[in-house]
Amino acid sequence: MEDKITIALPKGKLGNEALELLAKIGLPVEGLVTESRTLLFDYPEAGIRYIICRPTDIPTYVEHGAADLGIVGKDTIVEAGADIFELVDLKFGKCRFVVALPEATLNKYSKQGKFDLRVLNKGRVATKFPKVAEDFFASQGIQVEVIKLHGNIELAPRVGLSEMIVDIVSTGRTLRENGLVAVQNIFEATARLIANRVSYRMKYARLNEISGKLRQILAQEGVNNA
Amino acid sequence: MNKFSTRLQTVNGVKDILPKEAFEKRKLEASLVELFRKWGYQEVQPPTIEYYDVVAENDNSIDELFKFIDREGRILALRPDFTTPIARLVAANFKGETLPLRLFYTGNVFRFESTQTGRQREFSQAGVELIGAKGVGADAEVIALAIEAMLACSLKDFKIGIGQVMVTKGLLEEFSQEPADIQTIKQAIITKDFVGLENILLNQKWDGKPRKELLGLATLHGSIEVLSKARKLSNNDGFLQAIEELEQVYDILESYGLSKYIFFDFSILRDFEYYTGIVFEGYTPDLGYPVCGGGRYDNLLSRFGLEKPAVGFALGQERVMLAQKSFSCPPKIDYLVTGGDTKTLLKKAKELRAQGYSAIVDFDGSSAVQVKDNINEVLFVQGGKS
Repeated sequence: MEDKITIALPKGKLGNEALELLAKIGLPVEGLVTESRTLLFDYPEAGIRYIICRPTDIPTYVEHGAADLGIVGKDTIVEAGADIFELVDLKFGKCRFVVALPEATLNKYSKQGKFDLRVLNKGRVATKFPKVAEDFFASQGIQVEVIKLHGNIELAPRVGLSEMIVDIVSTGRTLRENGLVAVQNIFEATARLIANRVSYRMKYARLNEISGKLRQILAQEGVNNA
Repeated sequence: MNKFSTRLQTVNGVKDILPKEAFEKRKLEASLVELFRKWGYQEVQPPTIEYYDVVAENDNSIDELFKFIDREGRILALRPDFTTPIARLVAANFKGETLPLRLFYTGNVFRFESTQTGRQREFSQAGVELIGAKGVGADAEVIALAIEAMLACSLKDFKIGIGQVMVTKGLLEEFSQEPADIQTIKQAIITKDFVGLENILLNQKWDGKPRKELLGLATLHGSIEVLSKARKLSNNDGFLQAIEELEQVYDILESYGLSKYIFFDFSILRDFEYYTGIVFEGYTPDLGYPVCGGGRYDNLLSRFGLEKPAVGFALGQERVMLAQKSFSCPPKIDYLVTGGDTKTLLKKAKELRAQGYSAIVDFDGSSAVQVKDNINEVLFVQGGKS
């Protein structure tokens, strides 16, 4: 008997891109929408069940084994610090973590066009990702006070809540519109296929088949795009 | 909110165990103890508190220990597992004794983990340590006993995954890199971070072969046939010997009649610094965490001045209870003795207990109504003045 597997998908744009990819490897996705009141989609014939949840909750569902697989951004994985297996880089949903600060601050502290982050030692950082921010500044030997916000981080330096921010950027437009400049890349993030560590071993055949197919499709697309 | 509301709370990460769960837990523990004894293991009970230096991990400032200071200013810690305290216990008490020693334990351990992960900070373990025995026979005995323990817990459909840290260590050594890089690679293998692993190996500019080997190793998974696949990955002596030993362990487990429960997976490394050979974990479907785990740790006892090999495993009792599908109920009390005068009642209850029944005495004539559904039979005793 084939193992029944549960896949956790994020709501919204990331989820839709994930669905496209899953359809390409032949998994059932008819009638599946990530923005609806329905949170559970069952395809008994295929032995697949999807659960739709908030991106930040996906590592939790997978870590506890409520879902065998999940698709979620690397940014969320790092912030969650969950004990999961990261199987495939799905290449979509690309964004990067940056340290950004107001242009005025940058100009004030730049010497010969160079800016050293250490001038902001003991500064305040507003972010939605306190773990990423703390880990990064600790690795640089810079002490900061991290202020956790839940959205519109760009606002914080403008109203004097913090000197700088740590946030994810895809195009950089929001930063520019708020007079902020990215001064340091922390890391790049893309969507990943993650697996529960017990499922990966107990349902190895099916999980390996899915991750293998995904890798194959992505390699093909990589060649086509090149 | 009444004024007692904070007094009624338990500390974060610990909980009260109520009769139903306590009954289940005691039953589980009893069946494990019985099993361990049948295999010739003897019980030891190290203390709950140890000196910090005993249980502290080397070079690990961020540990998960519950620490406190005694009145003389020494740092103490609650035991985070049994293996290290038992290593100390053996070095202190069994130096020069005939080996191997077969020891078992059950009890609570304490880890200051983030409670978000769904793990409690106080939990119960049962396990064994086979000390002073090296080789595949000892490895196989402990794995066989772990399988028997899972069976004794009435778990079904479980699997034991076996890895070998020397296999991975051998490969890593062969392409000896900076210690920091090795640490990152190990971390990537442990978390099955294929994406990260690929990136690290690409950055290493290792061309072709070694990169493929490490990636190949991390993806190997399956029964005995993966060992022959693994064999082709390297000519390193340590590596080949480790593979050979795994094959022997498999053969022995086949003789035990238990080989159907196992598979091989080289990404099972557990704590890389601590283990020196075979490692294994037990999994059940529908539970997101391993139920048991163990392996060979030949360097631990030397920390306490005794150069002896050792292998063991521990099983998480709470996790077993989560994995068990059926719950039994604590049995009802056989008799409620009521009706007669106190002397008669006590005498009757004593008789019943001597015959092996459980009995409670209705000492003020009120219990019969209150607790009836917990009692199998209400026994009216004649005699005395009532």
